[in-house]
Amino acid sequence: MFVALVLMCLGLWFSNPDFLGQSNVINTTRQISMLGIFAIGMGFVIITGGIDLSVGSLIGLTGVLIAKMSGPVNTSDPQFGGYGYSLWVGVTVAMGVAILIGLVQGLLITRLDLQPFIVTLGGMLLIRGISQTIVHGGTLSIGNDSPLLSLSNGGLFMVHGDPLVPYSVIILLLVVIVASYVLHFTVFGRYVYAIGGNRDASEYSGIPVKRVETLTYVISAGLGGVAGVCYAAYIRQMSQQVGIAYELYAIAAAVLGGCSLRGGEGTVLGMIIGSAIMRVIDNGINMFQVPYTDRDGIRKLWRLDSNWTFIIIGTVILVAVVLDQVVHIVQAARRTRRAGAMAAAASAAQPVAPVAGQPPPAA
Amino acid sequence: MDLQDPNLLTMRGITKRFPGVVALQDVTLTLNRGEVLALMGENGAGKSTLMKILGGAYEPDAGEILVEGRPVALQSVREAKRLGIALIHQELMLAPNLDIAANIFLGNERRELGLMTPLSRRSMNETAAALLRRVGLKLPPTTPVSTLTAGQMQMVEIAKALALDARIIIMDEPTSSLTAGESEQLFSIIRQLRSEGIGIVYISHRMEEVMMLADRVTVLRDGRYVGDLARGQITQDKVVAMMVGRELSHHYFPEKKPRPPGEPMLDVRDLLVPGSPAPVSFTARRGEVLGFAGLVGAGRTELMQTIFGVTPALGGGMTLEGQPYWPRNTRDAIRRGVYLAPEDRKRHGLVLPMTIAQNVSLPAVGSYNPYGLLDRRTERRVAEEEVSRFAVKTPTIYRKVVNLSGGNQQKVVLGKWLAMRPRVLILDEPTRGIDVGAKAEIYRHMAALAEKGITILMVSSEMEEVIGMSDRVVVMHERRIKGVLPRESLTQERIARLMTGRSEATAAA
Repeated sequence: MFVALVLMCLGLWFSNPDFLGQSNVINTTRQISMLGIFAIGMGFVIITGGIDLSVGSLIGLTGVLIAKMSGPVNTSDPQFGGYGYSLWVGVTVAMGVAILIGLVQGLLITRLDLQPFIVTLGGMLLIRGISQTIVHGGTLSIGNDSPLLSLSNGGLFMVHGDPLVPYSVIILLLVVIVASYVLHFTVFGRYVYAIGGNRDASEYSGIPVKRVETLTYVISAGLGGVAGVCYAAYIRQMSQQVGIAYELYAIAAAVLGGCSLRGGEGTVLGMIIGSAIMRVIDNGINMFQVPYTDRDGIRKLWRLDSNWTFIIIGTVILVAVVLDQVVHIVQAARRTRRAGAMAAAASAAQPVAPVAGQPPPAA
Repeated sequence: MDLQDPNLLTMRGITKRFPGVVALQDVTLTLNRGEVLALMGENGAGKSTLMKILGGAYEPDAGEILVEGRPVALQSVREAKRLGIALIHQELMLAPNLDIAANIFLGNERRELGLMTPLSRRSMNETAAALLRRVGLKLPPTTPVSTLTAGQMQMVEIAKALALDARIIIMDEPTSSLTAGESEQLFSIIRQLRSEGIGIVYISHRMEEVMMLADRVTVLRDGRYVGDLARGQITQDKVVAMMVGRELSHHYFPEKKPRPPGEPMLDVRDLLVPGSPAPVSFTARRGEVLGFAGLVGAGRTELMQTIFGVTPALGGGMTLEGQPYWPRNTRDAIRRGVYLAPEDRKRHGLVLPMTIAQNVSLPAVGSYNPYGLLDRRTERRVAEEEVSRFAVKTPTIYRKVVNLSGGNQQKVVLGKWLAMRPRVLILDEPTRGIDVGAKAEIYRHMAALAEKGITILMVSSEMEEVIGMSDRVVVMHERRIKGVLPRESLTQERIARLMTGRSEATAAA
């Protein structure tokens, strides 16, 4: 997958040198980071074999809550304004709500043995509805002088007013470090993989399956909240539309990065690569151009219609999972052949011991 | 230690109810240090339930459990493990996406910092490597479990139990997926553990193993404790009598009336089964029971799957009733009247959440009604026919098959195929995991079918079954046919010799 990403980037750069221009790179990495943050959360859930369809709505709600809590007061029509509390209050409330939602969903799924698909689907709609009521059909601004703005615009190593390392990338790096450690080096991470690989075996091995699964939903929602803060800084005007279908991008990113929806597979690095592929495709559709000369000899650029976005992303996802399954089938066939050969070799090496437990017959 | 109870383990008055059924009623079980206790009983007698209670997976509704004289409350698997009780399930409980070491330590990792404790991979790998040496599995601990054979996975399960430093180990049908060599390894490990003072509960239907290993036998029947037998008293007749509640005749294989051999039904010529190094040939005759003997891995199941069309052959040919027969999928096979009752009946032979009626009618249900609608009346008639033919123990044909015992489930599988007038019936391990009483019934049915002219190909790993039921025996070894023995010369020695690769030196002897 990483190879595919590199090839794509090279191809796009070849067609349009601006692709690797400073502003485009910074913008795209910012997008990748924001997606990556909650794709990692989704990854945790997917590895255990679950799914979280509510992340997109959660991102929307987080932004809306920040705007409501910390946005400027609209004196003429208070409904359409914020409460003007400090940013800290807004962010704390938003994150708190996000984690709470993750906890509730996790508990519903594990304690009542409900299907994750349905619970998070219901959550998705419910949360979207709550966002809608808070904004009353309009938009809420986070405020033109909100310190949050520097989150989206600012970063380290400022060059011409653009940061070479935007803050969202730094946040992503932190998330990656912590997530990698937890997923690949702790007992909790081992349990996440085990539950995805064989839930029964995990139960019978004494693993606290319910607790681990609930925590994955909390993680997904929590990271969704963090991403929501970043998106709020980026989008600034919060409407109830924010975040629609984002969870699908996260799922696609996770799957492209190696997570299997069956559970038990996936790595943090893969999730990042998957996120990068998703965003590069997105960006690439805008950037891709092929120079040609038309009938009148005028040089023109052929560009992709941005309406093609969904077609291309959908195709990429299908191709990726088909390839993954083909590899899976080939490996399984190889395993069966090997098992047959091994068993044949093993029975050749057996001491004579018929099932009846009789002593070996005289030679 | 409580001197009033010298046993390592005492379970008293254990009762467990599930919705609709009392699985255990006032059951007693004791186990001593350094003892191998065989726990026997028909399927559904309650053995697995009792052991799951001991392993911490279930909690009893009544009764007490004492470990080394002290009463314990086994409320979770972790509790049980902490008390030194290890349960090795019959179904393999391994995570295929993890490696051997990870599986051995699954649930047993060091958790000083709770769930966020970092994994100590190096020490886990070292300990795992030592355990693998102990069970004789020559593989690095970092091998992914998904690449292991069933037998190797079973050995990993045993290593897992050893990792717990258990004082009580429960093994549920441990040899069902092992080769003879691996079984021998297991037996020597069991003897070693016994000499170290560990108590072992051994659940098995294989009399030979029980006679060889057990110091004592405890028998359950219908959820109740029937009694114990000490080493000197263990005989198959006594055990069976306790399990079934009545004396079974010594020979529970139906008498074989001498019959002239029928004309050839299925002729297999130079058939190349995928994965086999060489082609195979044999002829099965009308009305005969052709047994297929061989060690695990000899290729019998693979051969049957090719004959049934699951894995089409790569070369050679077959004729069925004189006509060419080349199934490219199971539909082709079924259309010609060739049916397979698979080894793993729960996974491949039945749709567990469906009813008896639905399962029996499954292959033919499309043909009951010309418009593709469901014809429940025909479905019911067919199901009732088969249920009565096989005497399936059920109050109604609308019972879900998941609730039937193994023996009755197998009868449903047979009923499914019988309803469609088979020409060739392939039975892969027809009585695996089935109690003695049901086995005898199935043997009777098989003989009756053969008498009607149906050709039966029976794959079996039970020597007694092969010798008792077959008219002829095809012995396979390493994917090849080593010999075909007629009934008159069927002896364990001859079969064993061929199974392990030595060919028949002379026709006689």
